[in-house]
Amino acid sequence: MKKSIDEASDLQAISRRRDVRRKTLPALAQAGPVSVWMILFVTIPMLFIIYISFMSRGVFGDVVYEFSLESYQTLLDATYFKVILKSLQVAVFTTVLCLALGYPFAYYIARKPPETASKLIMLIMIPFWTNSLMRLNSWLLLFQTSGPINSFLQWSGITDGPITFIYTDALVVLGMITNMLPFAVLPLYSTIEKLQKSLLEASSDLGATPVQTFLKVTLPLTFPGIFSAIILVFIPSLGIYTVSDVLGGGKVLYIGNIIKNQFGSIRNWPLGAALSVLLLVITGLLIFIYTRFAKLEDMEVV
Amino acid sequence: MKRFLTGVLALAMVLSLAACGGQSGSGGSDSSGGGSSGGSSDDGAASTELNIYMWQQYISDQLIADFESENNCKVNLSYMSDNADAITRLTAGGGQEYDLIMTCDAYMESLVAGDYVQKLNLDNIPNAAANINEAYWTAKDYCIPYLMNYIYVVYNTETCPIEITCYNDLLDPSLKGQISTIDGARNLFPIALIALGYDPNSTEESEIAAAYEWLVKFNENVVAYGNAEQNLTNGTASVALTFDGNASWAMSEMGESNPLVVAPFTDDAVQLGFDLYVIPQGAAHVDLAEKFLNYICDPQVMAANLEEYPYSCPNDAAVAAASEAYQNDPARDFNYKENVFFQEDVGDALIIYNDYYQKLKVGE
Repeated sequence: MKKSIDEASDLQAISRRRDVRRKTLPALAQAGPVSVWMILFVTIPMLFIIYISFMSRGVFGDVVYEFSLESYQTLLDATYFKVILKSLQVAVFTTVLCLALGYPFAYYIARKPPETASKLIMLIMIPFWTNSLMRLNSWLLLFQTSGPINSFLQWSGITDGPITFIYTDALVVLGMITNMLPFAVLPLYSTIEKLQKSLLEASSDLGATPVQTFLKVTLPLTFPGIFSAIILVFIPSLGIYTVSDVLGGGKVLYIGNIIKNQFGSIRNWPLGAALSVLLLVITGLLIFIYTRFAKLEDMEVV
Repeated sequence: MKRFLTGVLALAMVLSLAACGGQSGSGGSDSSGGGSSGGSSDDGAASTELNIYMWQQYISDQLIADFESENNCKVNLSYMSDNADAITRLTAGGGQEYDLIMTCDAYMESLVAGDYVQKLNLDNIPNAAANINEAYWTAKDYCIPYLMNYIYVVYNTETCPIEITCYNDLLDPSLKGQISTIDGARNLFPIALIALGYDPNSTEESEIAAAYEWLVKFNENVVAYGNAEQNLTNGTASVALTFDGNASWAMSEMGESNPLVVAPFTDDAVQLGFDLYVIPQGAAHVDLAEKFLNYICDPQVMAANLEEYPYSCPNDAAVAAASEAYQNDPARDFNYKENVFFQEDVGDALIIYNDYYQKLKVGE
């Protein structure tokens, strides 16, 4: 009897050890490298940024390691409030335009046969094979005062003199949209593609007009794609600074430019860090709002 | 399909991230190596490696190649994106990775006071003492001036509606959206301070605040910060506040019938700044650094360099040896070369400047 108990506990121990080998090791092997990567390159830098944001700045632009809330007090200044508001405006504007352009486009692609669809998707990606700064500078060349677009407008008699396109808000928005459009189209495409045709047919069989079908069936079913498109476009457009740097001529500053300047020419790292933390909070808030509406697992990235 | 899309999207994100990093990255890390390839010199033996930290597009490749083959060594150039980068390297550590760091005259006083740079043995750099104009050589024992820059106004006589003879002319309403200007608090504020009749290196907050108000008006006429030479040549701007080297480039780009002229200022002083080399404390290859400094001070070598980078130069012998094209450059055809001011160390007031600069750039 005693022997069998011993045997049983032995067996248990063996099976536990086997479990460790069977479950934990593969899990570690799979998640380990990613976790190490994330901790090293995401968590630690982020914690460091939060830490720096509570430090003080030295005259020479060095970080003085003394606790201070100065940076956060500076954030309360009306100037920064305005920048944040302006950045939010542009980000919202970009997101809305990307959705407005991206949704019909994604819908159109999704209704094509798979081979054609993948070719069309590829077309969206081709501009991304070049560096984004290259693309921005080519916009600048195209639209500059003596550039091809102005020459054409004058040659065709549409305008008398050259129009100043470059270094305007409009060109910045154009740059933002061309940079962000794929991030709207791809998630939208993947949800619309999964939409079952039979549901749409059922809707129209039951007497719904195409508009009603779209509003009551298509739109709610593709909501996860819409929301991921919003997140994927909104968050980067809030922080991006290259577009306004290149196309805005350094005149139009958004929160990303301010952060870059704090770490660059102005050298107020604590303030730059505090602004970054603020961006993190805004992003976190967005994700939180999303979880109010839907489960995070449903977020349809691709 | 889904896997394909995942791949495509991941690629897009990586590419766009890489692109975002691109601009700041070009400042430091993508150069030919930060110099850790183990070339620390033994006592007595000549160094075979020289690490230089400086501005990009500021020294002739040929000059570097010639120096390498003459001294049988490898020169590693790393580039800064801002003057403050060099200061951080020197003051916050990391300076000893380099043998030569480029900085400017405004910082020399505090760099010497803080003991961040080595005293030079000028006996090993005889070309410097022989050729460099003393008037342009601050902190003589600690640095070798390389090139210098006037920050002045140039304009296009065909498209600019007015004649500009002082800084206050830049506020003229007819210039709205016409000015392309250099950037940076310590470049912009002195101009406003001079226009208002104050010391260009003022440390008085009230004066800096007044200068801020001046710059707000100036900002209304500005079309872009930076890229002055392109904006002048492609017609986006009719006026530019820029360095003489950039003006020279724009003027030669305009060809035979160049309409660009240096503004005939009457009273207002223009800023003159020097870019100079210092040897940081703890540099590993001082012997080679001294050889390099001596080499660039050679009149023939510098004259050839000036062909490629036609900036003003404190090396009198090199200017005399330079080509006619350089000597007759319309960008240096102005008669107030002596009426200059220098950037000085403003101490704690730098914070005031930066705060107002921030406010200016954010706009009301």
